[in-house]
Amino acid sequence: MLFNSLTFVVFFVVVVTAYWSIRSWNARKNLLVGASYIFYGAWNPPFAALLFSTTAMDFWLGRQIAKAEGRHSRRVWLVGSVCMNLSMLGFFKYGNFLLQNFQWLLARIGIIYQPPHLDILLPVGISFYTFHSLSYTLDIYRGVLKPTKSLRDFILAVSFFPQLVAGPIVRAGDFLPQLVRPSSLRAGQFLWGLLLMTLGLFEKIVLADTMLSGSADRIFSYAGPLVALDSWLGVMAFAGQIFFDFAGYSTCAIGAALCLGFHLKDNFRFPYAAIGFSDFWRRWHISLSTFLRDYLYIPLGGNQVRPVRAATNLVIVMFLGGLWHGAAWTFVVWGLLHGSYLVVERVVRALLENKDWANNLATRLFAGFATYAAVCIAWVFFRASDFTVAARMLHGMFGGHAHGDAILTTREMLQIVLVTAGMILVHWTLRDSNIETAVMRLPRWIVTTAWALMACAIILTQGSSNAFIYFQF
Amino acid sequence: MPSSTSNFKRKLQLPRLFFRKPSQLERVHGGPPLEYERPIPEVPWRGITVVVVLIVIAATCAWEFYCRSIGYGPTLNDNEDLWTMARRGVKPESVVIIGDSRAWFDLDLDELQKGLSKRPVQLAMGGSCAYPVLADLANDENFHGTIICSIVPRLFVAPPGTPPMERTEKAVRRSHTQTPAQRVSQYLAMPLEEHVAFLKQEELTLDDLLKRLPIPNRPYALVSPRLPPYFGTLDRERRARMIEECARPGSELQRRIQQIWLPLFTPPPPPTYIPKEEFGKKMGAAIEARFHDVAMAVKKLRARGGKIVFVRFPHSGELKELEDRETPRRGIWDRVIKETGAPGIYYEDYPELSGFNCPEWSHLSAGDSVEFSKRLVPHLRKALQM
Repeated sequence: MLFNSLTFVVFFVVVVTAYWSIRSWNARKNLLVGASYIFYGAWNPPFAALLFSTTAMDFWLGRQIAKAEGRHSRRVWLVGSVCMNLSMLGFFKYGNFLLQNFQWLLARIGIIYQPPHLDILLPVGISFYTFHSLSYTLDIYRGVLKPTKSLRDFILAVSFFPQLVAGPIVRAGDFLPQLVRPSSLRAGQFLWGLLLMTLGLFEKIVLADTMLSGSADRIFSYAGPLVALDSWLGVMAFAGQIFFDFAGYSTCAIGAALCLGFHLKDNFRFPYAAIGFSDFWRRWHISLSTFLRDYLYIPLGGNQVRPVRAATNLVIVMFLGGLWHGAAWTFVVWGLLHGSYLVVERVVRALLENKDWANNLATRLFAGFATYAAVCIAWVFFRASDFTVAARMLHGMFGGHAHGDAILTTREMLQIVLVTAGMILVHWTLRDSNIETAVMRLPRWIVTTAWALMACAIILTQGSSNAFIYFQF
Repeated sequence: MPSSTSNFKRKLQLPRLFFRKPSQLERVHGGPPLEYERPIPEVPWRGITVVVVLIVIAATCAWEFYCRSIGYGPTLNDNEDLWTMARRGVKPESVVIIGDSRAWFDLDLDELQKGLSKRPVQLAMGGSCAYPVLADLANDENFHGTIICSIVPRLFVAPPGTPPMERTEKAVRRSHTQTPAQRVSQYLAMPLEEHVAFLKQEELTLDDLLKRLPIPNRPYALVSPRLPPYFGTLDRERRARMIEECARPGSELQRRIQQIWLPLFTPPPPPTYIPKEEFGKKMGAAIEARFHDVAMAVKKLRARGGKIVFVRFPHSGELKELEDRETPRRGIWDRVIKETGAPGIYYEDYPELSGFNCPEWSHLSAGDSVEFSKRLVPHLRKALQM
């Protein structure tokens, strides 16, 4: 069920009304479990069974880890959980990818092997809920979380519908404590949640899908050479589209959770105002970057190892982060590029640490601009369907097609420039603040007008919108 | 004293550079503080919400009244979910109409039901290529009914990747993959679309309104041709009927649509990045492949006892001149009939079918569609040996 669908509107009204009409906390939680499975099953009912089985297995494995005596047996149970989750992910998401690469490798040594094409349907949001569930056993193993006694609570923590299919990746350790006491609403919380949902839908439906996606699609699917201006505008359109698409979903999720009395953390903090790539990753898909930090980077040694090893760790983490996004080498290159950016940034920062000019406004602005440009270059690999398209785009961006085609209309160019400029302005204005503070400071009439305009614009789009990009991950 | 090298190494290890180390609190609770609460801005939410609701209701009503005042009326949107609803209604022995908007506007289901003893299922789509639906029905082992397939040559041989093909492929794909949520959304949307005039997904969305802004373009910008404005209504059976304003002789709407058809039916220039000859060869190969694919699909269908008849519907004025010039009968129509061996009804071959005038050059008016269908039935019965 998409947030931007009529079905969800009706579903949400029914669930919220029923939820706040019920007094019993247990009954409310039961309602949410049922609603979350209906939400998920509305895509493909059989996959709800898969979600349940993953959850139930991790619930059981979590208890085994907690009960186990001795490090070795705890580790065995943990390995069981990791293997179960990753094999599920591997089969559904990477099955065909692995087979294709295996075929390619065999062909290199002269063996012709034609693997069967597995007609595997990817369960929506599997990358997200696998991580929701996996965080539970990992945290129990680390000794930072006690296993919950309630299977129902754990099911709800994994499948809570606002964050189930496209994040944020809410760890069980974040959510389970909220299930101990009955959720309540503070003054304004419900309406603030509705405003956030409006903002999220506006970002997705109006800014991502209406203003930017058409241009990005046209540029990336154009088979001919493009001039630099159109190539850059196409990439900038995608940079804006993916931000508004994903941040829009996260904002909707946070808003929907607030309406039900739950608190989810920010998943984005104005990432296009980042100065440097480490800053970017503290602002972009925060729930994934912190997940990778805590469960992969730090166990690999983190920063507490020799610089070369730490740099290698960074690249490994970003490689896997890239692969998490999709079963294609273009995603891997995207991840490796970001890994390389982070390594280079470390070296540059170390070299410039004591230079006064390194922290003045002009340098910061330049660094911010350079970060945005480098992130855009990496987006080429994320968006391109294959390396041929990526190479053609990069060639165009760096002036390789002096006599290339200029295909964007003036309206499309204006939309990209205005939306991107507005986005970057807002990000820089709020980079050290948050949306709540901004709303507090703005005059009431501006908040009212902005909310009304966003709602009207959403109605005007008539739901002619696409699925969220991150659903495919 | 540390050497400069070790000092440099130490700098590189500074944890603040990336993925800072989690605090003790974060370590204990596996992430954020246990009692994490989002801040809620302290503003008078109730007052703001009331004003917002009033503004949105007022703006929506004003937009609805405006749209009605300039001639729009409520009708269903022809999207892939509505098509899927109709596709689901295809029974093994159904009579199915496929093809483009001419089969949509020019055929009256009541008249066909009277004449063929079965109520046809309307699967034709505006601006679309019939082939993906034909292939889908041919591959449906349960189906052994009758297909009435409209041919508008340019649309019928549209190569893969072009809008006419993508439109049909999207609908066929949706019919195989529609989720329960999409199905429910369609059922919820229909009553709204039947009563609200501004709900026009291909005309009055924000995107469409932006596209209409009169902004001059660069010389070689790829501008999509304009599609005709609202000129017909659609019901739950996907029966299309031309609105009166369009059928009224000499109306402004009629004139506007006529002028939109001409560029839409004119072949676009080949892309600049492919030599003309190579492009011509590619297109020729794609058209040949389409003839072959259609013939195979028809063969498969007939092997199961299914029947098909191709129909060329009336069109008039400058559009007819353009179509006759660009896609003459011998080029595509004759080849399709020859390759498939299926019967064909070309309206110009029969005086009783060729006297109709299409108000906007491409489709019949609602009244004429009834009469045309009545006159078409005997030809269909004969062609299909019913």
